[in-house]
Amino acid sequence: MTTMSTAAPAAAPSRERLVSWAFLAPFLIAFALFLVWPLVHGLYLSVTNQSLTGAGGSWVGLDNYREALTDPTMWRALRTTVWFTIVSTIPLVILALVMALLVHRGLPGQWLWRLSFFMPFLLASTVISQIWVWIFNPDIGAANSVLGTFGIEPIAWLQDPAVNLYAIVIATVWWTVGFNFLLYLAALQNIPDQLYEAAAIDGAGPWRRLTSITLPQLWPATILIVMLQVLASLKLFDQAYQMLIGVSTDTTRPIVQYIYESGFVGYRFGYSAAISYVFFALIVIVGVFQMTAMNRRRSL
Amino acid sequence: MARRSTMLSRRGLLTGAAAIGGAAALSGGLSACGAASAANPDQIQFWTLLSGGDGGTMADMVAKATGSGAAYDVKTTTLVWGEPYYTKLAMAATGGRPPELAIMHASRVPGYAPGGLLDSWDVARLAELGVSQDDFPEEIWQKGMIGDKVFAVALDAHPTVLMFNPEICDKAGVLDSDGKLRRTESPEEFLDLLGQVGGQTKGSPPLSYGYLGDGSQMFRLFYTFYTQHGASMTFPEGGKAEIDDDIAVESLELMQRLLDGKLAVQRNDYAAALAEFATGRSGLLFTGVWELRSVKEAGVPFDMTAIPTLFGTPAAYADSHAFVLPHQNEVDEHRRDLTYRFVADLLKGSYDWATAGHVPAYLPVTQSPEYAKLTPQSHYAEVAQQVNYDPAAWFTGSASNFHSNFGNAIQPALMTGKDAPGAIDAFRARVDRLLKTQNPVDPDGTWKP
Repeated sequence: MTTMSTAAPAAAPSRERLVSWAFLAPFLIAFALFLVWPLVHGLYLSVTNQSLTGAGGSWVGLDNYREALTDPTMWRALRTTVWFTIVSTIPLVILALVMALLVHRGLPGQWLWRLSFFMPFLLASTVISQIWVWIFNPDIGAANSVLGTFGIEPIAWLQDPAVNLYAIVIATVWWTVGFNFLLYLAALQNIPDQLYEAAAIDGAGPWRRLTSITLPQLWPATILIVMLQVLASLKLFDQAYQMLIGVSTDTTRPIVQYIYESGFVGYRFGYSAAISYVFFALIVIVGVFQMTAMNRRRSL
Repeated sequence: MARRSTMLSRRGLLTGAAAIGGAAALSGGLSACGAASAANPDQIQFWTLLSGGDGGTMADMVAKATGSGAAYDVKTTTLVWGEPYYTKLAMAATGGRPPELAIMHASRVPGYAPGGLLDSWDVARLAELGVSQDDFPEEIWQKGMIGDKVFAVALDAHPTVLMFNPEICDKAGVLDSDGKLRRTESPEEFLDLLGQVGGQTKGSPPLSYGYLGDGSQMFRLFYTFYTQHGASMTFPEGGKAEIDDDIAVESLELMQRLLDGKLAVQRNDYAAALAEFATGRSGLLFTGVWELRSVKEAGVPFDMTAIPTLFGTPAAYADSHAFVLPHQNEVDEHRRDLTYRFVADLLKGSYDWATAGHVPAYLPVTQSPEYAKLTPQSHYAEVAQQVNYDPAAWFTGSASNFHSNFGNAIQPALMTGKDAPGAIDAFRARVDRLLKTQNPVDPDGTWKP
């Protein structure tokens, strides 16, 4: 983008400007149709009692928001999503870093590791859900049979409300850690060798090199990964919905699922739109918080 | 560094986008259904949510009805059971291209009809074809009515029943001379019976009942015990739930007493409980009639009976599969006429439906001599006279979020065996919340039957 704007002269002939708009048009049209319009329309829906069945549509003011903010199920769902984001982001960042360090430093056959760590990320959520439903099957699943060889009692991974959110975390880590791993690996490869050489000359050991060179150099990548990961984890829906069909309870219903259920199962489009704006507010807060954290770090 | 990170992310994003594109291409095969059957004027579109064994039985019944030189041809579309089915049916009716005929749970009709999503049945037209109110048990016919109009004609009732293993029960000495389970008339007598059966199940609990994460399954047994007290639940729109707390607590406490780890596994899910019984590890199973076929196929000896009347009044939770006419903007009279005939033929041929375990609603079938010979179906046919549907409200019914709300409120009490009154309070609070909300298919409350 930057190259484009510098290449164009300040006062471009209108013809050229027209051409550039023409190139931009397909994207702008799609953007307006599928992002801007739904956003605006959703905001409108949230102040009506519009039903999925076409009935309703009368103005109800802020009633939907009032109801959402006093709805214990909404708060529980929001809590589930936030808790999932916390417990999934930590391993998704740390494991990715450890995997990248191992592959970058020592392990032979780098391409094979890179491929196998990243491959699950290419699978559709439906596929990974099916795989993990079988792995977590309490009677014949791989998870319990492995635990069984260590003499651990079988766990009802997806059925027991005390553990099923963590089962989703495990599946999600396996599924998406490869993306973060790849970002870390690329960042590692971008650290200039002379830094290590200079440190080695000064007598720094491997641990010192890791803590004083590698980790600080990886900091910008870490901020980016955490930010992308938090946003991805907040969107939790597909795998939780698909893996917990029939056994979903209040404690495992993420907010996006509650939005879906209110709209498409409960037929209440207006209310569902209101919850999604409450959720949107949360995302904006998280986003702004992260941006400020990042900018402060950069200015240091 | 910052620039490098951006580049990295772009590369990552591209890969990610490729992955998403691939996934979209893979899942792009889902096609729209319910295309108008414009080509053949005699063809009826028929939507069902019956899968597995039920689906096969229904397909056979449809084939039988259309086979013998029938005036109509039927195109059956089977959709996934549960919430998605009702969403699709609602959207099809709204979009003006619904099927001519659909199957719904009778318990869902009170939430559905008010949006103008259903057309009512013409009783006179049904009567001409030999289908009238007298041909159905009173409760079952009434469930299809809103105001004085008939919106659903029931195919069956599928109540909750008690399955038992006659070999184990015989050894335990709880069968009477004609092979029926000994009558028990109070919770204590039933617990005694279970204790006796427990002596013959080689260390496994005698009773199987799975409920984890399954609000419907919890509500079925709870409501059976609750209505056996002769009590009812009323959910007046905009008002407060009318639930008899003492009776509700007593019903829930009986469930807790059963789930003590000795009489039944305390934390069990539906599939595991079914497997316990189907492999002969337990002697009794609380389940629905629809499991008849799967237990039969498992090859374990079994019989079925009504859930014993432990609180004075014979009662069982049930629902019905019922025929409805999704609202058509412009009714094709010829097709509608064929639809009436098709439904009458299916009802008259519903003896076959009994093989799937369901109790046919059409009395001439269940009162026939062939049906009396059908076992174990005839052993529980009486339950059709004792059915109790979900309390009527827009949010109740099979696959509704009322059941999941009930489950969420009650499950902790069943898992721990503690605080039944607290669980009932939580249930009441949830129902009161739902009652405050206007029916979303008629949010302005303008519909009249």
